[in-house]
Amino acid sequence: MTDMTQTLGSLAVADAAAAGLAVEDLTIRYGGNVAVSGLSLDAPLGRVTGLIGPNGAGKTTTFNACSGLLRPSAGRVSLFGADVTNLAPPARARLGLGRTFQRMELFDSLTVAQNVRLGREAALAGRNPVRQLISTAADRRAIAGAVGEAIELCGIGDLAGLRAGSLSTGQRRLVELARALAGDFRFLLLDEPSSGLDKAETTVFGSILRRVVEERGSGILLVEHDMDLVMRVCDYIYVLDFGQPIFDGTPVEVRRSPVVRAAYLGSEATDV
Amino acid sequence: MKDLLPFIIAGITSGSIYGLTAMGLVLSYKTSGIFNFAHGAIAAAAAYLFYTLNVQHGLAWPLAAAVCVGIGGPLLGLALEALARLLADVPPARKVVGTVGLLLAIQGVISVIYGGDLRSTPQFLPTSRFSIGGTQVEYSQLIVVLLSTGAAVGLYLFFRSTRLGVAMRGVVDDPTLLALDATNPVRVRRAAWLISASFAAASGILIAPTLGLEPLLLTLLVVQAFGAAAIGSFSSLPLTFVGGLAVGLLSSLSTKFVLGKSALSGLPPSIPFLVLFVVLLVMPKRRLVQAGVRVRTSVRDRSGLPPRARLAVGAGGALFLVAVPRLVGAKLPAFTSGATFVLIFLSLSLLVWTSGQVSLCHAAFAGVGAAAFGQLTTQLHVPWALALVLAGVVTVPVGAVVAIPAIRLSGLYLALATFGFGILVQRVGYPSSLLFGAAGTRKVPRPGISWLSTDTGFYYVVLAVAVLACLLVWAVYHSRLGLLLRGLADSPLALSTMGTTVNVTRVLVFCLSAFLAGVAGGLFGAAVGNIGGFGFGPFESLTWLTVLAVAGTSQFGAAFLAAGLLAVAPSYEPGSWNQYQTLVFGVVALVVALQLPQRYDLRGRVARAARGSAHRRVTSPLRARTALEGVKA
Repeated sequence: MTDMTQTLGSLAVADAAAAGLAVEDLTIRYGGNVAVSGLSLDAPLGRVTGLIGPNGAGKTTTFNACSGLLRPSAGRVSLFGADVTNLAPPARARLGLGRTFQRMELFDSLTVAQNVRLGREAALAGRNPVRQLISTAADRRAIAGAVGEAIELCGIGDLAGLRAGSLSTGQRRLVELARALAGDFRFLLLDEPSSGLDKAETTVFGSILRRVVEERGSGILLVEHDMDLVMRVCDYIYVLDFGQPIFDGTPVEVRRSPVVRAAYLGSEATDV
Repeated sequence: MKDLLPFIIAGITSGSIYGLTAMGLVLSYKTSGIFNFAHGAIAAAAAYLFYTLNVQHGLAWPLAAAVCVGIGGPLLGLALEALARLLADVPPARKVVGTVGLLLAIQGVISVIYGGDLRSTPQFLPTSRFSIGGTQVEYSQLIVVLLSTGAAVGLYLFFRSTRLGVAMRGVVDDPTLLALDATNPVRVRRAAWLISASFAAASGILIAPTLGLEPLLLTLLVVQAFGAAAIGSFSSLPLTFVGGLAVGLLSSLSTKFVLGKSALSGLPPSIPFLVLFVVLLVMPKRRLVQAGVRVRTSVRDRSGLPPRARLAVGAGGALFLVAVPRLVGAKLPAFTSGATFVLIFLSLSLLVWTSGQVSLCHAAFAGVGAAAFGQLTTQLHVPWALALVLAGVVTVPVGAVVAIPAIRLSGLYLALATFGFGILVQRVGYPSSLLFGAAGTRKVPRPGISWLSTDTGFYYVVLAVAVLACLLVWAVYHSRLGLLLRGLADSPLALSTMGTTVNVTRVLVFCLSAFLAGVAGGLFGAAVGNIGGFGFGPFESLTWLTVLAVAGTSQFGAAFLAAGLLAVAPSYEPGSWNQYQTLVFGVVALVVALQLPQRYDLRGRVARAARGSAHRRVTSPLRARTALEGVKA
């Protein structure tokens, strides 16, 4: 089983252009306000794609449209080559799209282990009432494997028995990531996963993301404020400002771009 | 048209009072985020106070009214504001429990002082008449409409043009922003609660002469405001007043149309709840934004007992339950009904504590189950045990119907929708031949085997079913569904973005809960022998929820404790204590909902106090010596 995942993983890495998440001409309006306007981005499997921009640039709005929490006013969202614009969030998740939240959405009264387990159980439960009631022996094996792997990868084994509500922010970020990793998601949307982490934790976090992409062949779309992390882990970066796409390119190109520099310096001074 | 006019006039009169009540309700909800289920109870309290001052002590009515509306209302408003502040950061289910607890507490106080009988209170406004289009209209009616409308317009102008009014609108949107503007949100909220409580008081006094004084009647009927508030989508004050008028008119007109149709006689008084239920179902979701949902704490009590002690308590309890028929003598029926309530509370706690959904119509589930069980056994002659299971099965679709609002709504709006549904079932469902029929009661037999139908034998039957139900709930709790439900309580958003269609989960838990409640209803009917809808009204639903809150949040322990408190304890209380029961349940539920022990860290304080005093005893020889000297002297 593990061997097979690895083989599939390396295949996906080999075929770097494998379709992951793509957004075409996305526009989202709230009443009269345009939150995102004409954004197109392509985040293939086997890569970490960054989505950056000053506060209020429309990054989280884009995420919500990708995971189905928001209906776009115009444009298309496609996942692994299939149009998912009209699918509800659970249906997109079942196709293999996982996400985390800027304000973490953990199951606070459950233990860390149960949180991570739900990452897999929730997808297996799906929408079939019988599947929501009971799990099969095969399910249980798959769950045990995925949960163990995710907990190990994120290094939260010693927290497993604690209640999620009692953890520090840094630990909660890791639990949320582990929960998303335990799910059978081939593509992950990570919304500011490093905010609240200290320098050392962020470094660990970055290396986990690289491992996920390289070993599993998953795709990641990352919204992040920590520019060091973005520059280190991303293969390609899209920059948004006031809902408009203003630049995209490799980390080196983004770092050099005067347009990006202006956007950031104009709103908040960040050393890009 | 001419024969409709009297109904229209009566409708406008009562409708304007509903509008007044509803505006007060919406005002406090909008500014504080706390939906006050006890709003009607405040109206009732004011009406009783007015009765005491005006009728019993002969105080002139304008003076009595001024005391109630100008002093009693604001005082209550102040207390409510403090309470609302404490409730602001507790989870939605507990907010509901809190104000429902307050409702019971106020009603308990009224019952203790005045007793539960219906008293009539004379119309204090002038009853002479004038004529509109050939219809006689009392001046009292005209005055009521003028007063209510005046208050509505006044409130509207206050909102539009005064600084405080504008601030009140702002506080809903963003309290922190308002604080930056040097306006104290607490002061604004306090003003809102003052107005709200005074409006409630005024409407209670105005409506009492037509309804009569009876604690429950007044409490629930003023809650007609729910329907009006729903029309105003719980936020627009002018629309809310219009909604009040619409509800009053619809109710009044429908009395005309159902005259002589006995099957529909329950319809007119349920119109407000029908309106509430339908509006909540069809209102676009974005218009039903919940005010003040900023839950900071997700406190779920864990049983503090270590596993071994828990086992000991469980084993001791089980032994006691088996030995009950030998120990309790003539009180056995109370224990039998207690055992049926274990099922009820298991089902309610699965819904409320495990999955975080609120049901204020659980009694309706039980009522449907009881009626179905009666029909299945006496008319269709289905074997007893099979009929019991089927009684649960018949209730499942009812649970599914209630799950429809659960899909669209959450927290407060779900509680309201289920409450409306419960009242509909009671008023329209119970009298129909499908349930209890015109006679109002149904015979429900015990099992055919002779020993099992004795009191002792039947106690064991019920106990066995309760044990089976515990096993079922235990299995669910530890199954995938159990995990999903606990996840649902914490974050439906996370669950759905991980692939679970949470609407299916919600329907499942409502169906399961309804099944258990239906079986419980059937058993309860068989225990009593002859059962009607009177034990399964909306007030029972409210009481059950509060008693469950009092008993705690553990899945099994709370169900047994709640059943004991509700069904068994009263038979051991001295008769005089009985009247305090509602009051005590209400107050304790309020304390539980406010999470006062956790908030003030009572357990920690007690522990620290114990440690601290021990500490002092050792390290303060001076004090010890003075104490000794004191003794010597």
